Amino acid sequence: MTTENETPDVEFSDVDLQQLIEVAQLITAARDAMSDEIVTRLSGALSEGVSLLDRITRNEGLMQLLQVLDHPDTQNWLVALSESLHVASQEIASTPPTKGGVLCLTRVATEPGTLEALRFVAALCGNMSQSLREQHRKGINNT
Amino acid sequence: MRILIVGGGTGGTIVANNLARRLSKEIRTRKARITMLSASDQHMYQPGLLYLAFGQMTPDELYRDQASLLESSIIFHVDPVEEYKIEEKYVVTKSGKRHNYDVLVIATGSRIAPAQIPGMTEGADTFYTEESAIKLFKKLREFEGGTIAIVVGVPHKCPIAPVELVFSLNDYFKKRGIRDKVHIKYHYPIGRIHTIENVATWAKPEFDRMGIEYETLFNVEEVDAENNVVKSLEGTETAYDLLIAIPPHCGMEEIEANNLGEDGWIPTDRHSLLMDGRDDVYVVGDTTNLPVSKTGSAAHFEAEVIAENIASVIKMGTPVRDYDGKVYCFIETGHDSATYAMFDYKNPPDLTNPSKPMHWFKMAYNQMYWTSVRGLL
Repeated sequence: MTTENETPDVEFSDVDLQQLIEVAQLITAARDAMSDEIVTRLSGALSEGVSLLDRITRNEGLMQLLQVLDHPDTQNWLVALSESLHVASQEIASTPPTKGGVLCLTRVATEPGTLEALRFVAALCGNMSQSLREQHRKGINNT
Repeated sequence: MRILIVGGGTGGTIVANNLARRLSKEIRTRKARITMLSASDQHMYQPGLLYLAFGQMTPDELYRDQASLLESSIIFHVDPVEEYKIEEKYVVTKSGKRHNYDVLVIATGSRIAPAQIPGMTEGADTFYTEESAIKLFKKLREFEGGTIAIVVGVPHKCPIAPVELVFSLNDYFKKRGIRDKVHIKYHYPIGRIHTIENVATWAKPEFDRMGIEYETLFNVEEVDAENNVVKSLEGTETAYDLLIAIPPHCGMEEIEANNLGEDGWIPTDRHSLLMDGRDDVYVVGDTTNLPVSKTGSAAHFEAEVIAENIASVIKMGTPVRDYDGKVYCFIETGHDSATYAMFDYKNPPDLTNPSKPMHWFKMAYNQMYWTSVRGLL
């Protein structure tokens, strides 16, 4: 217990004081360097950033997408997608333009890659339709 | 539950967004619906007008698209209400469309009424609209010396505005190096220099320090624009080279036309914020007849109470909060310092010394306002 006449038993070394002075100098320098425009720009960016973050975190669809993207399988898929994008863009750039026509279309349609792509898109659309119908049914039943 | 919000200013927008957050599940499952009717597709940051009058902001910085500030679940129409059928629970808009409701929130705000004082429209400058603020800025830039008179009509929006105007004028002419050539004379309608006693006590020595002449008990009777003289009901008069008026304000015309309140101010319960005699009509912001400042800050705190109560009535059948009269006002004490006043029904403001960080806080708030009306702050 201390009384009013007692002084706290704390000693400051020259090093401590020098460090305090440096901190004070830093704050003063930052204060002097600051202007209304800087404050306005920073707070504007912060304000918009917070709004954006708020919208993202309350968007059920985006949050679900983030969860799916976070899954290891999806990460493999994303890696595959990015690699495919890279390779495909190189292939397209180095291949002469297609001549077109029915024969050309038939040749592309019989390639295994095309059939894989069609299968993937069909699976994607099939699942999406099912999910949309399910969500719609839940919404109507809840009213 | 059909919730109808009339007016897209600070109060209406915060009520709408706050409710949309609280009732997101009910809206998704179509148990609740929020509709906003506004007179404009633009939302103006009104405190920015004073900055515009001193060249510290440009007009484009004051506006955002109203739709961009609203939660996507809110149905928004630019179609002002002309008829209120309170007993029958519907309103009719300018386009003739009828909107039924279960809960109505009236947030139509206030407007300046300089025409109430003869000569004020022709003889005085103001900063309460974009056009008038720009016009005032141009006049201030051309002003090379003489007497600037400030007069204050009652009631008026933002009680701090007259004091901020004085500080801003002092700094503006100091920076231009002609402060010694400009005589600033401040007139106030009651027996002290500000309606809030603690603000008056704090501002008086500041006015003395800046060399501001002040005359209290000066209620403007008329402005003689030809002879540049402003006269008071008390029988005094002041000659001026530039007259800046804080004009008297009144509520919106439709409120008066529909007999909802005298001068457009709706009688409102000070705690529940319900319109007197109704349990399905809330009133927010300037539209109320409450004895609190007509500021965005009051509208903000009121809006939070209203939104929380509407949501809790829907969820558990009873309101949960009372409005305590809270108001928080920044006070710009020049172009690089500020302080603030916070008060409520019971506690008067206790002002702290002006500082630069407080001014930056205000600068930051000018940006954060948009986050605030979105219901985040």
